[in-house]
Amino acid sequence: MGKFFEWLDRNFRIKKPHRRFLYRSIPEGVNYFFCLGGIAFALFILLFISGMMLAIYYVPSENEAFASILRIDNEVRFGWFIRSFHKWSANLFIVAIVLHTIRVFVYKAYRHPRELNWIAGSLILILAFASGFTGYLLPWDQKAYWATEVGTTMARTVPLLGPYLCYFLRGGQDVTGATLIRFYVIHVLYIPLFMCLLLWAHFHLVKHQGVKGGL
Amino acid sequence: MKKICNLFSFIGLCIMAGVYLLFAFPSRMRKKKDLYVFACDEAELPVQGVRQYYIDYPLRGRTVTKKFFIVNTGKELLVFSSVCTHLGCLINWHRTENRFMCPCHGGQYDNQGNVVAGPPPAPLNRLPLKIERQKVYIGLRV
Repeated sequence: MGKFFEWLDRNFRIKKPHRRFLYRSIPEGVNYFFCLGGIAFALFILLFISGMMLAIYYVPSENEAFASILRIDNEVRFGWFIRSFHKWSANLFIVAIVLHTIRVFVYKAYRHPRELNWIAGSLILILAFASGFTGYLLPWDQKAYWATEVGTTMARTVPLLGPYLCYFLRGGQDVTGATLIRFYVIHVLYIPLFMCLLLWAHFHLVKHQGVKGGL
Repeated sequence: MKKICNLFSFIGLCIMAGVYLLFAFPSRMRKKKDLYVFACDEAELPVQGVRQYYIDYPLRGRTVTKKFFIVNTGKELLVFSSVCTHLGCLINWHRTENRFMCPCHGGQYDNQGNVVAGPPPAPLNRLPLKIERQKVYIGLRV
């Protein structure tokens, strides 16, 4: 334990309330597949940080979005690196979450008393997909436009509510600047907020119920 | 007393959710209207087979480009929208295969606009055609 942390703990009392979280007993039969959830969380933090950096230069407007992406790639120092970093972290985030879900499924860790945690995890999975879908539009190039055109048309196949849902998602009849702003706000504000709340609930339940060991 | 409090907080939450939905739902659900746009001269129509056209028309203060196809089957002229009926990608005409093909999910249509392969649920949309004083006009819903 570093001197700085001890000084911080003396003044801030951070260790004692988190004792049950920091000093947990780990059951038998645990292996490296149990790291997948932690890997996903680490990637979430990396996404959060690189996203905060990209948000400084990105302009969510119909006329300037693509130009601002070009500026990030070509003019901003390390801009190309941060953008690629965000993109690859996002891909690996989805992969890690799906693998973590499979691990939980195989180890039957979704069973009583952990059913609520399975539900929280499923909501996080859905939010991660939603984040990927909304983030895909933001570069505002041909691929982004057509992917969103196809994706929002899919919403139309919902019985009865379909056309209204599509209209709601697009913010109008077609994919336009209104859609871009909608998706931008969902991507940078709504999803991270609900994701943080759900992750806190997810970890609270892990702390409360403990890790389910071996098969 | 507690029951009344619960009831009121439930009603309050419902009102807040309703206000949010009304706020976030786009306000102007614009009615689509029919519009005839100049496409080309009559002499430029295909004598036989399929030809692709791009037309520009103004929509809410900006110029929109639309792609469509005119097919001359030998008996009649058919105008097809290039929007795939599956999920809205733009189809292309492949002369060697004699088919319209969608690049997104492999939908295929013959030169009459009927689905021959892939996921599309309906044939291509036919657009109305009007010829006035040797000029061809296409009816669009915008």
